[in-house]
Amino acid sequence: MRILRYSFQNAIKSIWREKWLNLLAVLSVSIGLSILGAFVIITLNLDSVLHRWSKSFGMVVYMNRELSREREDALEKYFKQDADVAGVKYISKEQALKEVRQVLGSNALIVDGVEENPLPSSFELTLKSELLEPAVVKNKAAQIKMMSGVEEIQYGEKWLSSLNTVSGAMKLGAVFLGFGIFTAVTFITYSTIKIFFYRRRDEIETLKLLGATRSFIRIPFMIEAFFIGFIGGVIGALATYGAYSFASLRIVEFMPAMKTNIAPMPLSAYALIPFCGAVMSIIGSLVAVGKIKY
Amino acid sequence: MIMFDEVTKAYEKEHVFKNISFSIGTGELAFITGPSGAGKTTLLKLIYGAEGPDSGQIVVGDWVVSKLKQKTIPSLRQNIGVVFQDFRLLSNKTVFDNVALALSIHGRHHHEIRERVNAVLKEIKLIHKANVFPQYLSGGEQQRAVIARAMVSKPMILLADEPTGNLDPGNADVVMNLFRDINARGTTVLIATHNEGLYRGTGKRVFFINNKYIEKEYTA
Repeated sequence: MRILRYSFQNAIKSIWREKWLNLLAVLSVSIGLSILGAFVIITLNLDSVLHRWSKSFGMVVYMNRELSREREDALEKYFKQDADVAGVKYISKEQALKEVRQVLGSNALIVDGVEENPLPSSFELTLKSELLEPAVVKNKAAQIKMMSGVEEIQYGEKWLSSLNTVSGAMKLGAVFLGFGIFTAVTFITYSTIKIFFYRRRDEIETLKLLGATRSFIRIPFMIEAFFIGFIGGVIGALATYGAYSFASLRIVEFMPAMKTNIAPMPLSAYALIPFCGAVMSIIGSLVAVGKIKY
Repeated sequence: MIMFDEVTKAYEKEHVFKNISFSIGTGELAFITGPSGAGKTTLLKLIYGAEGPDSGQIVVGDWVVSKLKQKTIPSLRQNIGVVFQDFRLLSNKTVFDNVALALSIHGRHHHEIRERVNAVLKEIKLIHKANVFPQYLSGGEQQRAVIARAMVSKPMILLADEPTGNLDPGNADVVMNLFRDINARGTTVLIATHNEGLYRGTGKRVFFINNKYIEKEYTA
């Protein structure tokens, strides 16, 4: 505890003595963490868009036109009991024709000339969002197609595949950027602490000769690194929040419909940024100080 | 208290010592002397673990220094006060803070640190310079500040490397009297010096190092 008190006093003195270098490091860390914060917000919003799209993803199962009403009822019951299916909507031949008329509008005369309804009855199935993997959907479609009375299945295979590619790329991008920022922040603190360590090498040598333990020598540098990372993180979080607020206001101004669609970053994530900065910086300082030899 | 047994030390195959053996008892005041480059500083470094021997055994108190692990070195050094030849006072700390540093390393309470440091600075007549930075002190004052730092934690052993090397005879006497006082309180004191006047007529043991060996051991 007493060593901590000494370390704090020493760290505060050093922070003040090297204020310009510390300020530079704090600003560099805050820029890095702001970039990370901005990317997280963009990823969250893209993910939310993808999630909304996937919710409306459906599979249309067309029935054989000669299929009996009893068989259709049996299939409907089967789909409703299927654990992979979130929603089932039955569209009869008549309803399908009605929908076609609605779509054609004034051109509905085209279908008037047809004596017998050519449209099949169908089921619109909504699959559970966690199953929206191209391979899983393809398997499900093949499985349904095998059922007696099913004529054809339509679903947006390419669209689903693109959706998954975008989502995967975003997640991979987040991992890479996160790693990049981690390395950058750690390196910034590493360089700063290395300079301080080098400037104080005579003092450290004397401390060692007087019997200072390794932690007695290391802790002031760790406190200084914590300060750089934490304050850099606070500034980074505030900058991210400011940029998000400004950008979302502008977007809503031009596209009012987007108001409910913009996904904010949770406040807990903002609070996490300074701690992430602090941890990265402390790691940087530990590498910079290295192994202390007597 | 300090025991060297068949200690050999070389720098890049150039021997500094070859199989030297000697011992210094608890509460003794002794001198190491010899020409420049004889290895006086190296011998002190071997005692506080800044250098390791190539062979032989060094025992200081309860520590077998020659077999000491890196992490145990601080506890040895916390029990040894060292008066360095080049002072090693920290220029960004006042005299008070330089002296207090030794106690901070020991993890002492700040009230105790204040009391002890003030008492020691009064004793060595530097209390009026407590808030002065070392670069504004004279050579003699700097030397006294270093002695204050070495004695403030009441070490078992005090090592001094050419403590009067940069001092005029008046200041040298003051410093020597300080060492006698410290020794009188029970601290083992070992002084490395080439200044014969410092030990002549003291009645203390002198070890004369030359040509890699302790050539003479006598009472001054």
